[in-house]
Amino acid sequence: MTATADTLCRHCLLPVGRRAMQRTVNGEGCAFCCYGCCIAHQVENGNLEEHEAAWLLVRIGVGAFLSMNIMLFSLLLYSGAFTGADAGMLPWIHLLLWLFATPAIIILGEPFVRETWLHARQGRLTASALIVLGVGAAYAYSIFATIERSPQVYFDTASMVLMLFTVGYYLDAAGRARAARDLQPLLAAESEWATVVAGDEEHRRPVHEVGAGTLVRVRPGERIPVDGVIIEGCSHADEAVITGESRQVAKGIGAHVVAGSVNLEGPLLIQSSGAASTTRWAQICRSVRDALIRRSPSQRLADAVVGAFVPVILMLGIAAAVYWAQHVPLDRALLIGLAVLVVACPCAVGLAAPMATALGIGRLARHGCLVRDPAALEALARVRLIAFDKTGTLTSGQARVVAVDTDGTAADEALARAAGLERHSEHGLARAVVAAAAARGIEPTAASDVRVVMGRGIHGSADGQVVAAGSAALMRELDWPLAPDLAERGRSREASGHSVIYIGWGGRVNAVLSLDDTPLPEAHATVEALREGGVCVALLTGDLPAAAQRIAAAVGIERGDIEAGLAPAAKPAALARRRREHGTAAMVGDGLNDAPVLAAADVGIAVGSATDLARETAAIALPPGGLWLLPWTIGVARAVRTTILTNLMWAFGYNLVAVGAAAAGLLQPVLAAAVMAGSSIVVVLNSLRLERLPEPVRSQPRQQSRTEPERAPPLRTSGAPVVAA
Amino acid sequence: MTAYLVILAAGFAGSFHCIGMCGGFACMLGRDPRGDGMTFLRHLAYNIGRLTTYCFLGGLAGAVGQVICTSQGTTVPLLNGPLDTGQRLLAILAGLLMIAMALQFFGLLPRLHRVTTGFGGSTLAASLRSLLTAPGPAAPLAFGVFNGFLPCPLVYAFAAQAASTAGVLPGFFTMLAFGLGTLPAMLLMGGVGRMLAPAWRERGVWLAGSCILVLGLITLGRGLLPFAAHIGGHAA
Repeated sequence: MTATADTLCRHCLLPVGRRAMQRTVNGEGCAFCCYGCCIAHQVENGNLEEHEAAWLLVRIGVGAFLSMNIMLFSLLLYSGAFTGADAGMLPWIHLLLWLFATPAIIILGEPFVRETWLHARQGRLTASALIVLGVGAAYAYSIFATIERSPQVYFDTASMVLMLFTVGYYLDAAGRARAARDLQPLLAAESEWATVVAGDEEHRRPVHEVGAGTLVRVRPGERIPVDGVIIEGCSHADEAVITGESRQVAKGIGAHVVAGSVNLEGPLLIQSSGAASTTRWAQICRSVRDALIRRSPSQRLADAVVGAFVPVILMLGIAAAVYWAQHVPLDRALLIGLAVLVVACPCAVGLAAPMATALGIGRLARHGCLVRDPAALEALARVRLIAFDKTGTLTSGQARVVAVDTDGTAADEALARAAGLERHSEHGLARAVVAAAAARGIEPTAASDVRVVMGRGIHGSADGQVVAAGSAALMRELDWPLAPDLAERGRSREASGHSVIYIGWGGRVNAVLSLDDTPLPEAHATVEALREGGVCVALLTGDLPAAAQRIAAAVGIERGDIEAGLAPAAKPAALARRRREHGTAAMVGDGLNDAPVLAAADVGIAVGSATDLARETAAIALPPGGLWLLPWTIGVARAVRTTILTNLMWAFGYNLVAVGAAAAGLLQPVLAAAVMAGSSIVVVLNSLRLERLPEPVRSQPRQQSRTEPERAPPLRTSGAPVVAA
Repeated sequence: MTAYLVILAAGFAGSFHCIGMCGGFACMLGRDPRGDGMTFLRHLAYNIGRLTTYCFLGGLAGAVGQVICTSQGTTVPLLNGPLDTGQRLLAILAGLLMIAMALQFFGLLPRLHRVTTGFGGSTLAASLRSLLTAPGPAAPLAFGVFNGFLPCPLVYAFAAQAASTAGVLPGFFTMLAFGLGTLPAMLLMGGVGRMLAPAWRERGVWLAGSCILVLGLITLGRGLLPFAAHIGGHAA
């Protein structure tokens, strides 16, 4: 058997880990994480007309047939059907049971024996060893009892325990597959095939072989394997895998399609616009797979406990049998030992974390939130402080006109003239001016002879006058007088972190436009939601304190939680200081210039740049424009953590109680096996509750984001500084 | 004994209902190319598997009933005899369940129908269907075993009846009688099933429903009436 620690189970998509089972299904080698997945996969996907594939299920069916017959006879024995006059029949009935039990135990026990043997060769003792030992002891004793003609045999116990474990494993795996159903489309990017059109011929190719410019045919109902442009056909596409919103988007010729979306109706011919391995879908797929393979700290702990658990239980079982042998007949004592072994099988503990984590990661990924590692998810659940970077994270990163100061001229006129000039420029601030005028419904004053002065501004002529917009330096160059009041205002705004544009015409400076980065519309609601969730919010930025305070006030961060003027290298230290006060701290940044602090935080969260996951600077990546998903993401992380904790509590608590009851001789082995199988099903069902988590709800963004300058009060020279944001 | 005959008859009548689902499986078993003997063997294996599961369920239900009624193992004859409180409650429960199943047969409880048939287990048998075409008698036997666990209102009804007997042996016999009742139709399914007109099938379903209804009423009566033995008198 090869090392398969880095592959996912074919059936339930959990990491196969060291319990791997390799089987051939439909002529294809598959790795499974457990016997149950092996059965369930066979049931759902096996081509049972092939003898080999059907063999496993036929064996289980025949095993069930035999053990049910054994159980029937044993039930009759227990109900006292062969007492009194019929007692002479007893040895023959026992012989018959032996006859039935031998093939049943060979058939049903083979996978357990095989697993025990494999692990024993690696020097490990696992749960299957408990089952094999317990069942083996019951069977061996029963043979002995049959030969000795003693009144009790336990063939039914031996076969029924195996049967129950087989059924329990199967039900387990069937339940876990429901979790995998959500992950399947996310992981499909790697295994998908594309129909490549070359001339008149069409070939099926693995999607990773598809390069840019290739023509790909997508039939209705198929998943679009590459990013590209539609050349032929029209249809609707469901882009849920990428955007998280299940919505039908109409697509016609020339429309862009995204890899991972589902083509709903018409056949499409698509020209791919890049290599298939670079699409966002492929990126999501890689990150989800990587995350699923890694083990979380709680899982490592649980695995370590399980590793130590098995030998302990083995000793306990033997000790219980030896102890009871001195007080009750040997067969009763053996039965008690068996019950201890069977009931303590720690399957539920092993399942507690991975399934919940997988569900959580899948859930987040469906909304574009990628998690590098289960540990990040667990840390996120514990986060008490979230520090934000300012520019590009809480703000749009794009300047907007926030105030117009004039020397008495109408603000609209200043804006109209400025816009008339600036629409000839490509500068970011220039675009902001044009946008502000458009938002107010101001017609820009047409300008001619427009000339851009590099680094200073722009000038031209309108209505027979020279008009200029730019820095104070430009105005000095033009030798235009600047009223002291206006100059003071401009300086103070500059000092508080605004960008300013002076506007002049008719030989003097008439107005000052102040521009500022503006908070994202969802920033305030996000901060509020985080606070409601019991998380402190802080702002760490390299900008000027005044600018930081303005933004902080707008999004609802308090004065004491702001640290401004931090060089990138100083941010980790600032975060560490706050972490000492609050506990686990997360840092949210745009990932471009906060890499050091993202990496230094307990959880680094990058907004809009999934590449940070791959570079390991961030542990969690939100989709572009996905700041609003942050509170929901934390909610999911917390739900996952709660589920893992309840699972572990249930699994351990149950084991302790059950082992105690079994060692005290209160639990029949068959009942113990049934309850054991039930316990892992409880864990699966508890984890499946995560499927019912609420969808993220975007709090209504304030609609004025584009028209905000309109809300600016009338701007006068004498007015107090006016800030609208 | 008469009681088991009634159940046998109910099983026989009910087996016309089985044509819908299990009959399909039986048809799929088809004919063995090696001759009639092998064909019969395959069908026999399938039915033995099915019957084993039924009997197991019956025995189990009976044992559960026995555990519930802590009547110290005084297994009572079916449909008559003295009953203690636990058995009365069980009888009422089983009777109600059977009546509900019967009403469902008459199409009066459509929602229950969805519950009983959509129990999720049907996907198991449906996906295992191709086992039937595998060669050899082991595959049909295995499929029969799985088939027995298929969610089926008839099986539920008789399992409830078996539980109400509060004994392993009578429970076992109840389901055995029911299973044997379904045997002729299922064995002959390949030939007869397809010839049987839908109208006859309809009548069979009504007959089965009536049988279950009567059995359910009697069981219910056992729980409710003080001298139930007289009510069940015709069967005694």
